[in-house]
Amino acid sequence: MTYLGWVTTYGPTYLDALGWTAVIAVLASVGAIVWGCALLLVRLAGGRWGARAVDAYVQVFRNTPVLLPIYLIYFGFPLVGLPWPAAVCGGLALVLQNGAYVSEILRGSFKAIDRVQFDAAKSIGLSPWSAFRKVVLPQVLVYSIPSLGNQVVLLLKDTSLLSAITVTELTMQAKLLTEQTGAAYEAFAVVAVLYLVLVAGAEALFRAAQRAVRWSR
Amino acid sequence: MDAPTLTLLLKGAGVSLALALTSTALATVLGAALTALGFSRFAALRALYRLYVYVVRGTPLLVLALLIFYALPALDLRTGPYVAGVLVLTLYVGALFAEVFRGGVLAIPRPQWESAKSLGLPPAAMLKRVIAPLVVRYTLPPYINVCVMTVKASSVLSIISVWELTLAAREIIERTLAVFTVLGVAAALYFIMCFGLDRLGRRLERRLMARGFAGEPG
Amino acid sequence: MIEVHGLHKAFAATPVLRGVDLHVDDGEVVALIGRSGCGKTTLLRCINFLEDYDEGEIRLDGHPLWYRTDPDGRRRRVPDQEARRMRQQMGVVFQQYNLFPHMTALENVCLGPRFSQKVPAADALTLGRQLLARVGLADKVDAYPAHLSGGQQQRVAIARALAMRPKVLLLDEITSALDPELVGEVEDVIRSLLPERIMMVLVTHALSFAREIAHRIGYVAGGVIAEIGRPEQILEQPQDPTLKDFLRRMR
Repeated sequence: MTYLGWVTTYGPTYLDALGWTAVIAVLASVGAIVWGCALLLVRLAGGRWGARAVDAYVQVFRNTPVLLPIYLIYFGFPLVGLPWPAAVCGGLALVLQNGAYVSEILRGSFKAIDRVQFDAAKSIGLSPWSAFRKVVLPQVLVYSIPSLGNQVVLLLKDTSLLSAITVTELTMQAKLLTEQTGAAYEAFAVVAVLYLVLVAGAEALFRAAQRAVRWSR
Repeated sequence: MDAPTLTLLLKGAGVSLALALTSTALATVLGAALTALGFSRFAALRALYRLYVYVVRGTPLLVLALLIFYALPALDLRTGPYVAGVLVLTLYVGALFAEVFRGGVLAIPRPQWESAKSLGLPPAAMLKRVIAPLVVRYTLPPYINVCVMTVKASSVLSIISVWELTLAAREIIERTLAVFTVLGVAAALYFIMCFGLDRLGRRLERRLMARGFAGEPG
Repeated sequence: MIEVHGLHKAFAATPVLRGVDLHVDDGEVVALIGRSGCGKTTLLRCINFLEDYDEGEIRLDGHPLWYRTDPDGRRRRVPDQEARRMRQQMGVVFQQYNLFPHMTALENVCLGPRFSQKVPAADALTLGRQLLARVGLADKVDAYPAHLSGGQQQRVAIARALAMRPKVLLLDEITSALDPELVGEVEDVIRSLLPERIMMVLVTHALSFAREIAHRIGYVAGGVIAEIGRPEQILEQPQDPTLKDFLRRMR
């Protein structure tokens, strides 16, 4: 079968899987950013022990491959009474892993931004939580947009690993099609192109966000 | 955890490390060649460089691995999974190294190029005595990062049946359901390897820094 | 001696050099002054072909440099190997980042002689030590640039340029990036070279130093050498109106 024939025959199947990949990527990215912010809060407000705990967390996730948390949650949660669906297990693992990197990105931004602003917020009597929410976090997030974009792209690519726990995202779909039809090249070439498109889309999105922010300042 | 399981995991870790180190060695050569391509006089070669890096970095490692895994038998090259694994990692990490080295070359201040040119150095001497040492100087930290990344990336090869630490762990789990202990030990082993590599890299950096070798340009 | 005829150069669509003529005699020191962006540095860099030029001719002791004319009149770049040999006859010192940070001062100085001129290692080392002693850095032969002050780095750079036994030294604002107290030591080294009657072309903002050591000062403006003459003439009796303006601003 030609590539074109392949695309037309299996297009809908791919789109289905693409949808899964996109949904998981978006939800996990949002989750990772939220989790990263929470870790930043713990680091800032938790004193020495808070900072150390976050450091330990980050080190663990930086020095271990992401497949391990994926397997841990997928195989382990049912054993402790939480038989969650594979996609949720995988998504959670991605959130925990990428949250660590997000918190490091935010920490770098925090250090880079002029402290004067944050001290000013404190001095006008904002509660620490308000100061964090209204002054610190927005600025840190905005400053981090490019690096967060990179991290989201990495997360997007990591969704392919969920094929190892039977989530029918793009990579899994390609494997299934290969087993069905034996046309490995076609199956994976199309998937590779789709990932490139997704990555390009994500990068464009973050570039647009960067521009939007600059306009509003 | 009993001794045989632990031994199995340790063996797996050894395989992971061997895979990673072999691949990084080969990828360093590939990366250097690609960087040279990226600075070629011919626009077509430069475009080739950009295309290669774009595709390899935009595609998940697993997809590349599966492509190679299925492609090799089709090309009548029946090699073992290890060769396929090293090949995949090398192609992938080679692109990462290429970008790292490229950054290093671009970081060399212009007067250094021009000083070397003005001294009339022949190209071989210039590369060996000036450019290569300077690129190493500027790229040591990102280089080490990529090495550590390679150790983690080797776990992806488990999905194409390359037996290493992650596959060892998964097989044990599917047999015994001792999920937390086995994965805990596997994580610890990866941690030791990655953290250790990172520390080694930092020590190398410090030694080179003392000789005025590493650190900021100029 | 150096002869520059009708040098033209444009960066993209912007002309920077519009027909520069310059003549430097053996043993002469010429200083080039002018506003930022006037082209004086570009001119210097064209002389040693760090910048390509669009039209014109550069000769060293009568030999044309960088380009040859074909029998059919087209100009053709000389092969790289020849260009390298031509470059060896000129020493260059830049404003900063001259020295290779991964080599000691001595290694920096010996690099050219050893690998361009194929001087045997032992002889190169002796030469290197001599030159470093000459610039007052005998005790810093094994120091890395990171451990040298800006002034010391520039002095090593001068030694390195001299190690090639060049016919001309091209100096591009070599004291502009230095802290004021370090400028003197570098100027002293240049002064000490005057008796050797080595040709020098220096681009500089240091007008008093130029007046002291230059045989002629050239004022670059509008892409040409608008005025050139002895220091007293140029600095005290400038003719060109833009030069008058320039000197007023520099005071």
